[in-house]
Amino acid sequence: MVINYASNHTIIRETYKGSVFMEQQHFAELCQKLNQQGDNISKSVLDEVNKYRAQYNKKKLPVIWIETNDSGDNNIAFLNTTYPYAGQVFTDMIDLLYSNSFMAAQGKNALNILEQAAEKYKGRFTLVVEGAVPVKDNGLYNIIIRTENRSITALEAVTWLGNLAEYVVAMGTCGSFGGPSSARPNITGSMGVNKILDREVINVSGCPVNPDWFVGTLAHLLMYGKPELDDLGRPTLFYGYTVHRHCQRRSYFDRGNFAEKLGDIECMFSLGCMGPRTGADCPYRQWINHVNWPVKANTPCIGCTNKDFPDGSSPFFLPLDKKGKK
Amino acid sequence: MSKKRIVFSPVTRLSGLLSIELFLDHGQIAEANASSTMFRGFEWIMRDRHVTDAVYMTQRVCGICSTAHGAVASYLLDELYDNEIQENAQYLRNIMYAADFIQNHLRHFYLFSMPDFVRMPDYPPFHGQDLTDARLSPGDNQRLVEHYFEGIKASQKSHEILALFGGKAPHQHSFLHGGVSVAPTVDKITRALSLIAEINHFVKNSMLPDTNLISRVYNDYFRIGITPRRLLSFGLFKFGEKNEKLLWKSGTIEDNNKIILPQVDLIEEDIAYSWFAIDENKSLDNKELKPDPYKPGAYTWVKSVKYAQQHFEVGPLARMIINGYYNGGTSTMDRIYARSLETYLLTEFIQQWLKKLTPGDPPIKQKTTPVKNKVTAVTDAMRGALLHSAYIEDEQVLKYDIITPTVWNFSPKDKNGQRGPVENAIVNTNIPSSDMLFTIAGRIVRSFDPCIACGTHVIDCNNNLNITHCEL
Repeated sequence: MVINYASNHTIIRETYKGSVFMEQQHFAELCQKLNQQGDNISKSVLDEVNKYRAQYNKKKLPVIWIETNDSGDNNIAFLNTTYPYAGQVFTDMIDLLYSNSFMAAQGKNALNILEQAAEKYKGRFTLVVEGAVPVKDNGLYNIIIRTENRSITALEAVTWLGNLAEYVVAMGTCGSFGGPSSARPNITGSMGVNKILDREVINVSGCPVNPDWFVGTLAHLLMYGKPELDDLGRPTLFYGYTVHRHCQRRSYFDRGNFAEKLGDIECMFSLGCMGPRTGADCPYRQWINHVNWPVKANTPCIGCTNKDFPDGSSPFFLPLDKKGKK
Repeated sequence: MSKKRIVFSPVTRLSGLLSIELFLDHGQIAEANASSTMFRGFEWIMRDRHVTDAVYMTQRVCGICSTAHGAVASYLLDELYDNEIQENAQYLRNIMYAADFIQNHLRHFYLFSMPDFVRMPDYPPFHGQDLTDARLSPGDNQRLVEHYFEGIKASQKSHEILALFGGKAPHQHSFLHGGVSVAPTVDKITRALSLIAEINHFVKNSMLPDTNLISRVYNDYFRIGITPRRLLSFGLFKFGEKNEKLLWKSGTIEDNNKIILPQVDLIEEDIAYSWFAIDENKSLDNKELKPDPYKPGAYTWVKSVKYAQQHFEVGPLARMIINGYYNGGTSTMDRIYARSLETYLLTEFIQQWLKKLTPGDPPIKQKTTPVKNKVTAVTDAMRGALLHSAYIEDEQVLKYDIITPTVWNFSPKDKNGQRGPVENAIVNTNIPSSDMLFTIAGRIVRSFDPCIACGTHVIDCNNNLNITHCEL
């Protein structure tokens, strides 16, 4: 995949001219540095956000975060962010107005907060949808809040809030494309957020999402607005190259030197690796304070950022040409 | 009817979506219906897949306890393929598994449960907290708020240990059937030792004292949220070539405190109040369920599960009592206390296990021909007993059943109206004033560490703990 970053680099907002603040181009480069120790974006991003806020008296990014059909793995993944840590994201980067997992309020107070935030920050808040949206049977397979008189389904909440938000971010592969929640036979009729809403959705896919991809996207929205997206609606900053392109085991592939079993150090293509058709920066970003990723753990990449994950990746341990079949 | 119906929703600070319908009668909760309001149909999703996909697929059932599903699916496949597991692999598996437990327990205690007792700062996501019963002194309160943020870092470190060996987290990659695909090299062992020492320090010097403080200041919660003393555990941390040895034993315990080994065939499920119906298209000898979100009278996606015709509570409290680490009751505060105690024990175990690793090749050997076509595997997960069961043909899944800990604890009433543990804990609770309803109910419910995707007898952790007898 070839991405043209030139267009992105020229869009530098007027307000940044002559400032000491990092320009978008630099930010993009920081996000994409390929060969460093791995902690480049996360160690720098909070400093930049703070500098930006100090310089422009900018408020934090208002965020309403709705959890729908997924495993909750994405908010756990978010908690694994380092530099900034999740606590610093709360205090310094975003105003997390509603979040089923993290808000202190509960019950009717939480519902009131949601309704008031949607009204007060109309047109200004970022809606994060963590999970797919089931539409079968009027969406009754996912109810986010109930009152004495009615049930608010994920379908209703996403439609309501999605039309009021400045940006909509689908977090994880379920939210982006349906993911495991919509895996065959998909008896709940679950689908990605962009199929529910008649507007642009920023897909930050991954099962779960790498916290850098999510926090990096929020930082971009706060400082520069919408990031450049690929044809699947994902920020090119993180999804612009295939796993295969930067894989540490690429030289084995090029020489036709393939692993025979899990645990081997050769190319995992023979054992089902989805790297050649998966856009993600795992080989150099890595996971959890940048310590490891699936191929480094001697297992195949299972293509968890893809539109057709998991059905297009399974059986997980059979080579690409044998996948997608029973 | 003098009963007043109030819906407690959303029950925030947990994994997944939960609503609880409460009926109040003269200042007391007369009835409770706990509703899990999300359904994805994982047992359907698992069908027609290659059975070795189970480790990665079923981890997607739950994000906060993903390793548990990967572990039990690996045990299931080990038996199916008759694998032999190397000693190094078992240590690595248990290190990863315990690290995920610590991650879970830290996040539950600090992020989910603590705001029930501590006044949080007045900015998002803590705004509108409405803690109607705040008892900590300003100094203690401030210190615990600081620990909230430190707890985030400690839990991140726990997942760093998991990822160091497992490739990523949640949804690790290396804990597979046949063993573990990563090599236990000295750099990884050293890094993990350093991380676990930091976590252990935090748990010992913050989490345990914080638990002690909360349990002292809110000691009435040793009498609130009590369940019938029926506890169950499938045991935890397997060792041996055939996963045949358990570090923490399995058992069921009832009022008489006698521990009896659980038998899987005494487990039964009931759908009287669940949004499921019998699929009429199937013949009766092959009874199938189908989701039915319009079913009259039903109120949850959780089935009612019973053991020997009774509901059983599962989780850290059950494990700690069955294994003799804790001799308290079955109240809200006992559950919180046992979880913190378990967290500390696990930080000690990981250090021991890391030192027992022998640097060498990846300890994995996967056999490729199934020796049977039907297998059930069990273990305890973070929240309690977890069961996976598979029926296969030519390595393809025909049927895959999962009974999660949440199903045990959040069981709705059965066809005879018997309540499950969470509903039992809530019912008969006194609510002194209406503004206390959600505060009290929230404390009780969260002590179970809900995951919907899935007093004076407090012992002194520092002195009365004997972990040497369970050293391997």
